Amino acid sequence: MRGNSLAVGFVVLAVVFVLLAGLYYEGVLQIFVSDPHAKHHTTHAILFSVLAIASLIAANFARSKRTA
Amino acid sequence: MTLAQALFMGLLQGATELFPVSSLGHAVLIPSLLHWSFKQSDPSFVPFLVLLHLGTAGALLVVYRTQWVEIIKGFFTAAVRGRIEKPSERLAMLLLVGTIPAGILGVFLEHQLKSLFASPKAAAIFLIVNGLLMLGFEALRRRAEARVAPAAKTRVEQEESFASAEQISFKAAALVGACQALALLPGISRSGVTIGGGLLAGLRHQEAARFSFLLATPIIAAAGVLEIPQLLSSTVPLAEYVAAAVLAGVAAYLSARFLLRYFRSGRLDPYGWYCAAAGAISLALLTFRP
Repeated sequence: MRGNSLAVGFVVLAVVFVLLAGLYYEGVLQIFVSDPHAKHHTTHAILFSVLAIASLIAANFARSKRTA
Repeated sequence: MTLAQALFMGLLQGATELFPVSSLGHAVLIPSLLHWSFKQSDPSFVPFLVLLHLGTAGALLVVYRTQWVEIIKGFFTAAVRGRIEKPSERLAMLLLVGTIPAGILGVFLEHQLKSLFASPKAAAIFLIVNGLLMLGFEALRRRAEARVAPAAKTRVEQEESFASAEQISFKAAALVGACQALALLPGISRSGVTIGGGLLAGLRHQEAARFSFLLATPIIAAAGVLEIPQLLSSTVPLAEYVAAAVLAGVAAYLSARFLLRYFRSGRLDPYGWYCAAAGAISLALLTFRP
């Protein structure tokens, strides 16, 4: 049960990271950026995309623990 | 920048990126001490640094080519399976966990930290701090050695009492990775703080160096690849920069080979003393020289 909720938590986190990646890429979010006038913040978008993938991997690990 | 200066900077970057003496600190201090007119903070300097970093990352990939194949295979296998079964899979996940804090802190704080501390005097002060950190890491390690391997007669025997990179905990990997962010301060060495962090986590010196170099590769390569579009500008003297990058790669390759042999029984102390002395001398020169 604990593994299941942990897996869901990581999936939710992944969705949040995807949203943040999109917002940074579109230039909507301007927090901690080197150039506030840039159209896209590609580095930040890539970072949050990687974090989203890492969260999905963590979710898979949590899910597998539950089924093992 | 002249060709000779570019080649010198390539050699300097390649050698000091892996030695625990801070490449950024040296790259800020030496041109300033030699009264060279170009500045690291100049936007036109970015493509040059990008190529030097790609040269260093390329050298690390060559040094660890077989391990990287195993790590990448292990990463995908473990990620899909959702379970770790082999040491290479564990190492892949440890590197992921170690890279995340460095990536977050690097992306969010790099600009702020570099603009705050990019002066040669700050680099000299942080170089002294880096030296003290190296000496501190070794002092703590000697205590651990007295506790863990009191009967060991040689340095090699002492080292054998400690762990390999695959055995480190995930929490320790995250902490070692977070230490990398300190290297955004010019004068603090990325390899120095990660090797030191590895020692505190109970790794052998050689394994701490291996983990540090493996951990550095994705970050250095990603930082370089992200800036590649800047190289496409027509004003960039690409031939000079590529020559410097090749030199940086060769220097980094030789440095990695040397350090991995050195850390079979060697310690961080000589680099600690070097950094403290170089920082103090640089600070004195920058303060008192007209």
